[in-house]
Amino acid sequence: MSENGRSDRQSPSPGGPDRAGADDRPGADARAGTGAGGGWAAAPEAPEIPEGSAAGPDAAAPEAEPAYRLSPLTLVTAPLNYLRNYLVPVLVALIAGTYSFNPWMLGGAAAAVATMLLSGLFTWYTVRYQVGAERLEIRRGLIGRSHRSIPLERIRGVDISAHLLHRALGLAVVKIEAAAGGEGSEEGKLDAVTAPEAERLRRVLLRRRAYLRGDSGVQRAEGADDAPARVAAEGEEPDTEVYFTVPASWYLYSVLSLGYLLTPFVALATLVGVLGQGLGGGAAERAGDLAVGIYERASEMAVSLLVAGAVLAALLLLLAMPLFAVVSYTVTHWRFTLRRRGDALIAERGMLTRQSVTLERRRIRGHELADNPLERTRSAVRLRAIVTGLGQAATRAMLMPIGPRSRVEEVVERALSPFRGRLARHPRAALGRRLFRAVTPFAVAAAASALLAPPWVAGVFALLALLGVPLGIDRYRSLGHGDDGRQVSVRSGSLRRVQAVVVRDAIIGWTWKQTLFQRRVGLADLELSVGAGSGGYSAIDVGFAESAGFAHVVTPEMVRPFLEGAGPVAPAVGDGAGPDAGEADGGGERSAEEQS
Amino acid sequence: MWTLEGAISAAVLLILLSAAAWGLRFAAWDWVPEWLLRYAWWLPVVYAAYSAVRVPLVPQWRYRVHRWEITADVVYTRTGWFSRKWQLVPVSRIQTVDHRQRWMERMFRVATLEVQTASHAGSSTIEGLDADETRRISEELAARAAELRDDAT
Repeated sequence: MSENGRSDRQSPSPGGPDRAGADDRPGADARAGTGAGGGWAAAPEAPEIPEGSAAGPDAAAPEAEPAYRLSPLTLVTAPLNYLRNYLVPVLVALIAGTYSFNPWMLGGAAAAVATMLLSGLFTWYTVRYQVGAERLEIRRGLIGRSHRSIPLERIRGVDISAHLLHRALGLAVVKIEAAAGGEGSEEGKLDAVTAPEAERLRRVLLRRRAYLRGDSGVQRAEGADDAPARVAAEGEEPDTEVYFTVPASWYLYSVLSLGYLLTPFVALATLVGVLGQGLGGGAAERAGDLAVGIYERASEMAVSLLVAGAVLAALLLLLAMPLFAVVSYTVTHWRFTLRRRGDALIAERGMLTRQSVTLERRRIRGHELADNPLERTRSAVRLRAIVTGLGQAATRAMLMPIGPRSRVEEVVERALSPFRGRLARHPRAALGRRLFRAVTPFAVAAAASALLAPPWVAGVFALLALLGVPLGIDRYRSLGHGDDGRQVSVRSGSLRRVQAVVVRDAIIGWTWKQTLFQRRVGLADLELSVGAGSGGYSAIDVGFAESAGFAHVVTPEMVRPFLEGAGPVAPAVGDGAGPDAGEADGGGERSAEEQS
Repeated sequence: MWTLEGAISAAVLLILLSAAAWGLRFAAWDWVPEWLLRYAWWLPVVYAAYSAVRVPLVPQWRYRVHRWEITADVVYTRTGWFSRKWQLVPVSRIQTVDHRQRWMERMFRVATLEVQTASHAGSSTIEGLDADETRRISEELAARAAELRDDAT
């Protein structure tokens, strides 16, 4: 098969018509090979063969590999996966069918199971992937064929994840994320290959991509990466550097996280929802009869008993909450590891579902440190990366779970680049605004409900309004922006305080926003647009003149034309004219407006 | 054009509101409280008064407040009366430049220019430009962006 691929070797050039033709050839051969039957190497044995050939010539253009199938164990996992999705209806059908011996229902369930098994077989039989010289090709489908071809240069990251079943069988799901168009539309997913094969794929894909990009720095790293790769497919490599593994005591920090405290409730709600759905779908009439019966019984029971039961359950839940929090947190963040391999950061975590996310260094534009008031009491903080083109960034960009600030900063020091500047406080007027924003809504609600609603409602709102005072003060105290020459940082929020640190080069625009109230006190929100993470990070309630100066310091060439006309760096603030004062003095080359 | 657009949308909403008020009276469901029925027609009237003030004024404001400027390196826009917004987009980071004309814009021979960067927060639009001017600017901008392009998405 490798011989076929060799014809594919070319200098990396943008795809033309001949290019496409050349690429198609191995694919056609692959299809021809299917007819030959057993000639196909199944994935688990295969990796060793191309490993040598691909890793051998260091600097030469990598050549196309033979096409592989998914692991045959997919035959087991795919039906089980389907089964998991439709477990409840099938089970209900099965139980209901045997209960009243309804052959149709039993037959239906059996047919469903058979379909699942068959579909698993089909998936395995039809899905085929091939790492070409320039693109990764994934074909699938027997009747409706789909052929996805992802240019290797465009690959942004390769994620490996494996849930419990996969891990039991030594499998892994490989997700290939590519930079193109819409979210997820260009993603390749291989479900599932063997774990070593997944590792190998990741390495091969990333290496070839680096080669295609002509990244010389990576070439060297790749050389170091190659040698041990031949020795051990998976294991410690010299180029890997483990920054951080989560110590056991850190799992306790989850108690501080509101999200994890609430997880059991969410899980419970989902469970109830799923049960309701399943019951509703499968045996509606039967369940209906049953429900009526239960309802009658229940209404006979003393109401007080029910209430007592509910209270007891709530209490139990309350007590169990921290426990649940720790358990669920431990399960998701089990052995969280952050390490570097080549020029990528790899974050791995999970007990049941092991997930590994690869973040390319050059795509990381900065990082975020987030904490909430509870965590602040223990000076704990969590770390996330600001990365371009990462879907589901909320969970995937996570670099470190909640942990002590000093330790987190140490990791930032080693893995990323820390922010060394100081955060400048925002003007005093911002405090007034924060307080106003935190207190007013509840105060108004309290006043309104004092007139209209029973007094206790007003009391609750008044209490909330009072609580708004420390909240507002804290919000003000957390406001800040700074610049250390290389990176820019902004911080805001109280219940969820986030300090974002962004590399200067990553800033692709500035936006000032000023409401009427802000204009009166000379404040503005300054938003830095960043083509990564959430897209924009705001410095809230900065002094207007100060913010313009700040922007000027960070990106002089971007802001200067609009400031110089106004004379001093700071634009006139008193008249609220802002940067357009510069414009009026003719800072730009053309300034016009047209309207009908 | 903004005046016309505002007038049309106000008229449409007014018709809808009156229809709703009339329908409410006509249907007279029992769950609708009586006082609501009686004063239902107030809503369209109040809205009519409001839009009578609004329709001629707001476009004037908008026209006076909106500013834009394109220098060699930066696209600058300013919008907003009560809440102001200034936006700077460096040309080197521009990814796409769109210009488009809706039917009413075509009637008045104006167009909208849309400048997009990798960040959704860093994209800006300029409305109500002269159509030919827009075309020229968008072409120039695109050429300039290609020239200055650095791959910091």
